[in-house]
Amino acid sequence: MTFGLNLQHPLRMIQKIKILNQEFQLHPLGGLFWEGKSLLLISDVHLGKVSHFRKFGAAVPRKAIHKNFLLLDKIVSDFDPFQICFLGDLFHSSINKEWELFENWVAKTPAEILLVAGNHDIIAPEKFEKLKVSIFPELIIDSFLLTHHPEERKGCFTFCGHVHPSIKLKGFGKERIKLPCFFKSKSQMILPAFGQFTGTHSLDPKDSDEVYAIVEDSVIKV
Amino acid sequence: MNRKETLAIAENWFQEQNWQPFPFQKESWKAFLEGKHGLLNAPTGSGKTYALWFPIVLNYIRNHPDYKTKHKKGLKAIWITPLRALSQEIKQSAERITQDLGTQMTVGIRTGDTSAKERAKMRTNMPDLLITTPESLQLLLSSKGYAKTFKDCSAIVVDEWHELLGTKRGIQMELGLSRLKTVCKDMRIWGISATIGNLEQAREVLLGPTSAELGNSVLIKANLNKKITVKSIIPKEMETFPWRGHLGLHLLDQVVPIINNSKTTLLFTNTRSQCEIWFQKILEKYPEFAGEMAMHHGSINKETRLWVEQAIRNESLKAVVCTSSLDLGVDFAPVETVVQIGGPKGVARFLQRAGRSGHRPGKESVIYFLPTHAIELVEASAMQKAVLNSAVEDRIPYLNSFDVLIQYLTTLAVSDGFYPDEIYPEIKQTFCYQAISDEQWQWLLNFLVMGSQSLKSYDEYKKVEIEEDGKFKVNSRAVAMRHRFQIGTIVGDATISVRYQKGGYIGSIEEYFISKLSPGDVFTFAGRNLEFIRIKGMAAHVRNSKKRTNKVPSWMGGRLSFSAKMSELLRQELYTAELVFSKQSEEIQALQPMFIKQREESIVPQPHQFLIETFKTRDGYHHMFYPFEGRAIHEGMSSLLAYRISLLAPITCSLAFNDYGFELLSDREINIQEILDNNLFTPEYMLTDLQKSLNSNEMARRKFRDIAVISGMVFTGYPEKGIKMKHLQSSSELLFDVFRDFEDDNLLYQQAYTETFEHQLEEGRLRLALERIAQQDIVWKQCSQPTPLSFPIITDRLREKLSNEKLADRIKRMMAKLTK
Repeated sequence: MTFGLNLQHPLRMIQKIKILNQEFQLHPLGGLFWEGKSLLLISDVHLGKVSHFRKFGAAVPRKAIHKNFLLLDKIVSDFDPFQICFLGDLFHSSINKEWELFENWVAKTPAEILLVAGNHDIIAPEKFEKLKVSIFPELIIDSFLLTHHPEERKGCFTFCGHVHPSIKLKGFGKERIKLPCFFKSKSQMILPAFGQFTGTHSLDPKDSDEVYAIVEDSVIKV
Repeated sequence: MNRKETLAIAENWFQEQNWQPFPFQKESWKAFLEGKHGLLNAPTGSGKTYALWFPIVLNYIRNHPDYKTKHKKGLKAIWITPLRALSQEIKQSAERITQDLGTQMTVGIRTGDTSAKERAKMRTNMPDLLITTPESLQLLLSSKGYAKTFKDCSAIVVDEWHELLGTKRGIQMELGLSRLKTVCKDMRIWGISATIGNLEQAREVLLGPTSAELGNSVLIKANLNKKITVKSIIPKEMETFPWRGHLGLHLLDQVVPIINNSKTTLLFTNTRSQCEIWFQKILEKYPEFAGEMAMHHGSINKETRLWVEQAIRNESLKAVVCTSSLDLGVDFAPVETVVQIGGPKGVARFLQRAGRSGHRPGKESVIYFLPTHAIELVEASAMQKAVLNSAVEDRIPYLNSFDVLIQYLTTLAVSDGFYPDEIYPEIKQTFCYQAISDEQWQWLLNFLVMGSQSLKSYDEYKKVEIEEDGKFKVNSRAVAMRHRFQIGTIVGDATISVRYQKGGYIGSIEEYFISKLSPGDVFTFAGRNLEFIRIKGMAAHVRNSKKRTNKVPSWMGGRLSFSAKMSELLRQELYTAELVFSKQSEEIQALQPMFIKQREESIVPQPHQFLIETFKTRDGYHHMFYPFEGRAIHEGMSSLLAYRISLLAPITCSLAFNDYGFELLSDREINIQEILDNNLFTPEYMLTDLQKSLNSNEMARRKFRDIAVISGMVFTGYPEKGIKMKHLQSSSELLFDVFRDFEDDNLLYQQAYTETFEHQLEEGRLRLALERIAQQDIVWKQCSQPTPLSFPIITDRLREKLSNEKLADRIKRMMAKLTK
């Protein structure tokens, strides 16, 4: 069995895969990089969730707010992409002060930023447009469909989010473990949630499915 | 009217009923009228309600000589009951007194079941005597102008105090009392408790360890010597009796004659699922009981439960299968016999259940102990000794539970607001917070207002605000509303109600169980076979089904641990296995075949021996250890040992434990000699090692769940109301990780660990257990197959995991196994 480890990234072991003759890299932070287009896909960041909770009187540690931005910086510096596309649920709820932090992040990030809107993205599109972030209900690039909700469409391969997929593994001696994962079926890849303060939903793979689990610093095919 | 004349009113009333007051009743009347506070130790069904309702009414009569013609409105006394099911009964006895004595006093109930309309009515017009629960009392404290409502309250009685002591509801009570002491001008505080090991402490916790009230208080013991007979149901054929299991259905046929020979029999089970199964199976095998048998547990709807309780009183039922839901209160005179199915795990609980039978004065209580597997016969025998010596457990009260304090302070902020300088001294008088430091107090205040310890400009945290004069106040209606919904410290799994499609509430079930069902699945609940249709809002829709099924909802929480006393008795009992046959109890004698089997490859340990067994099955390598210290201690000890082993070499294992011992199951053999050579059972560095063990983190994570809900950090939504608050729901697990990563000095996060070590792992007892093992000879037996002692443990499916191998290594190993 091969793990397809990328030796150019000694700290984070990235999994490389091929879909429709295109090269993709799966990053252990939960992003997917399309080499040919220099496009980084990230799903379900749920920015503003911590602030949203705090605003309603649930004292989630404030320091957790910055973690998402640090991780975004990290993954962007690992690929230096031309474009970044968020596959929905970028913001958890209505606007709050975390928006300012997002503005700063957009300003300092050189890549062009796109957003495919998800069910949580209820912030007014004008707000995004002001930051030169373009919003789409969905995107089709070559034969690839980028959308928030999983959807199998004829003639397309779908990249999507929404589900926050994870996988349960069993071992000898009644071991059990649950890991966030990239979940690939025949014509669709569901990305894991990038956000820190988010849960997961475990999926049951069929024989034809491929699962790439995030194990600490690496992505491993199981 | 002087005291003697007042007391004469009560004694006359008793004479009219042709009753004779018990000495403890007279003693309570006198002490109460002298203005004393106190704790009354009296069992259920002994006339304890008359012991305290009487002086409350008499006190009013004494202070209002024209009570028959004139009536002064307003709240005069509060009776707290932990179970709202009991409130009706308490109300009836109160009304009987107020009416017979010719007063115009009114009696009212206010619990979670009280309608909004009725509650609103109470706001303007409180009953004279109020019966309520600890949660509802907190809710009263969260309403505006509560001080005026309570001002003339002359007494508060906390019934079944032993049930509250040692729980967070008990702390809620302590806090409520600390406020009422200030608000009420002239109030007596009384508790009623069944027998527990630490009665004196129970009084101290109720009244406050340094309070004037404690100095002016009494402890009254009913001392009703009641004869309790314990009989074990011994399997007729020991050879076919199982080594493991928890249902006990093998002995069903032996229970039937017991039911037939007595007027009414209560069968106590330890879990609701066990209750359902027993009910089902008895009817299946003995359909003649149909109509004469009922079931009673906490998830069944209230009407059915009340109906069952009434039917017991009417003697129209032959048998009732029930859970702890029938442990408390409610006097059932016709019950002649009680059967306990499976180990009750505690002497106090066993005695309480035994006391449900033979309620009539002078009658003896008979309780049958039905073992569910072989080793429980040892427990049965030990229980008889425990009852003889009335070796009853202590209830250990909590200390410094900051989650409950946060909730309470928010409650005060929601109603009229509070000034810290006024509340702090009150809180310091309670038992729970007697040792709180000024720094901790300031931390809590910061947390309430800022949600952290320092103010940052972009933060929008909003809950409690400080007004100009320094008053802490909640001004947001939304925050107030959410808080009121959240009051209450009993935290369970998310439950959803089960209803017929056409309406009709059947009961409530853990969401976890329903989530595993697909439409069309049939399951047993409340004694019916139900087909699951769909989930709608917070309800599961079902219809009756004729299909048979083996799906029975499981409820967590049935896993209790032995107390120190019970463990000690259990060991002593097991040691008698080595005695001459004629000197053994009949339970131990019955176990003879099992002991013979056990001795084939291993031993039955003696007082100076500590037994370790190892063997291999297709599950992996089993390493068994038998300290006989109770489940909780084994949980801690297994985690400790696994951690220490992992220091020698990377290891992944799963842990299982019961009241007799524990198991480390691994895919590789653990070298026992190495454990012994390295002295891994030493009590030295116990606490630091425990803290480092992965399992204590897992346990703390689970404790944190309740803490997060109680302190209002996780919002559970509005049960039954179906109001969706999804954007505010998060799992406490996520929250726990966030605290670990970003704010590990948070007092609430740390409380999760304190509770784990002090309450769950009982570190004090664990240390004693390790010291005992250090004195014993270690006997290590390598066996070719599982032994009878090991059997109940290795078949346990609820397991803890521990690993210090790198995650990636584990995954690779798991995959290697997958592809084999």
